[in-house]
Amino acid sequence: MDVLTLNAKPGRIASWTLSWILFAIGVGAYFLVAQQRHRENPEDRVVPTLEQMAVGLRDAALAPLEDNVPQKLPARFIHSMLWMDTVASAKRFCWAMLLLIPAVILGLHVGTFPYVGAFFLRFILFFDKIIALSVLPILFIAFGIDELSKVMLIVIGVTPTIILDTVNLSKGIPEEQIVKAFTLGAGNFAIAYRVILKQILPRVLNSIRLNLKSVMLFLFAGEMIASTDGLAYRIALLRRSMGMSTIIPYVLWVAFLLFLVDWAMRRANLKLHPWFTE
Amino acid sequence: MLIRLEQVGVDYAVRNRPSRTVLRDVNLVIKPGEFISVVGQTGCGKSTLLRLILGQEQPSSGRVLIDGRERNHPDRDRGYVPQKYSLFPDKTVLQNVIFGLEVAEFGLFNRWTPRYHRRKAEFMEEALATLGQMGLESSDAQKYPSQLSGGMQQRVAIAQALITRPKILLMDEAFSALDPGTRREMQQLLRRVWRESLTTIVFVTHNTYEAVYLGTRVVLLEKNAELGGACVALDIPVPEHEEAAEIEPVVREIEHRDLAVFA
Repeated sequence: MDVLTLNAKPGRIASWTLSWILFAIGVGAYFLVAQQRHRENPEDRVVPTLEQMAVGLRDAALAPLEDNVPQKLPARFIHSMLWMDTVASAKRFCWAMLLLIPAVILGLHVGTFPYVGAFFLRFILFFDKIIALSVLPILFIAFGIDELSKVMLIVIGVTPTIILDTVNLSKGIPEEQIVKAFTLGAGNFAIAYRVILKQILPRVLNSIRLNLKSVMLFLFAGEMIASTDGLAYRIALLRRSMGMSTIIPYVLWVAFLLFLVDWAMRRANLKLHPWFTE
Repeated sequence: MLIRLEQVGVDYAVRNRPSRTVLRDVNLVIKPGEFISVVGQTGCGKSTLLRLILGQEQPSSGRVLIDGRERNHPDRDRGYVPQKYSLFPDKTVLQNVIFGLEVAEFGLFNRWTPRYHRRKAEFMEEALATLGQMGLESSDAQKYPSQLSGGMQQRVAIAQALITRPKILLMDEAFSALDPGTRREMQQLLRRVWRESLTTIVFVTHNTYEAVYLGTRVVLLEKNAELGGACVALDIPVPEHEEAAEIEPVVREIEHRDLAVFA
């Protein structure tokens, strides 16, 4: 059998099965440990069983935080802890994503207009080397501990990367394309936006997709340290009461949400840029 | 438009070393309607010469005059067809061809007017007609460049450059990446297009046969040991011809001179 060769061609079923083995081992090992610990101590909270997590998830997702909420299912979910935390985090996330738009525009101008580049590039390179978390105390002092400082943390952490990536991408457009556009009568801004930006946009979106985890990382750091709501705030709070039966569903929920965002962006990228192949 | 190069020299600055001379004392006059082929060995400054006429590069010494004026930017008077990256990959064939018409009349912000839609329909009609002249089907119009073969791409690139009616068309090794059969077809197409459009064409190639077949005049650039850079070594007219055999003597003359460099 040529299993460990470079030109092996595993069949569909074989590769599908193989891809789930680690999941099966992980889940199996978890419940084995859970079962063992619960045999010794039925009250164990460190490795909750499926039943405990179901209860935790039900309390988080279907038990309204306020009173006098109608007992119908959608209403109960919308007023639950899980949903309200999700909304709070999503708002900060969306603000951060919105602020990436000016970052891309700035990167485009830095990359295409030499004078703009001369003005900004060195500063952005310097800014890029600053560890965002190290300026967190400064942010809290400067902007207070409310929403602004949390969004600023994400912005400081992620935008330099996105700007520099956009700069490199715009510089990577072949000279021929720009000369061609000039000979066809296009002006400077028409070239920057209609020739360069349009061509790099799918790559910029991919770069943002790669940086989604950084966005979430800084969002969570901000929420864990100074916040009164949000997914990471809840996880940090539950730690104090060893609420593993809720923490684990929360972690999986966050992973699922991030997967959804990434998937949606990938689909949008394919749909918006049918010409893009990589 | 009259193109006149007067005592043109180009040096490239090389860090920590004396600058490298590419062209030295190049004198050339190109009259309206001529088809000039520029040949020469790799690295002898053919493309540099083209970029000078294009306005993308400026001479270190001497002057490049277009209708008596120095122009140091590429503009709508001079069309350009490079060997690679000639089409915008994010635009369909049709969008590529109407690009030049569109940007001339509409900026970034006035593209939401009814007038734009009316004009765009007219642009598209014109573009389809031009594509037809280049031998493309209207079913190709909605394809993206990556879906076309190399020869098709260059047909679109020529259509894209010609639709704005440039007075000069500059082509840099435009057919060099094509297979021999396609290349042959493209050469015939270009000759026909040139006769019909009355455009001045400057065509850079390293293929002597192609140069002679296409041009009304062939310019050979050659490195000159005394001057340091390349200059015009040969500038000969090509007689009217239909058959390939008619131009054999000219090809032989150029190749003889070109090979003499190694002797």
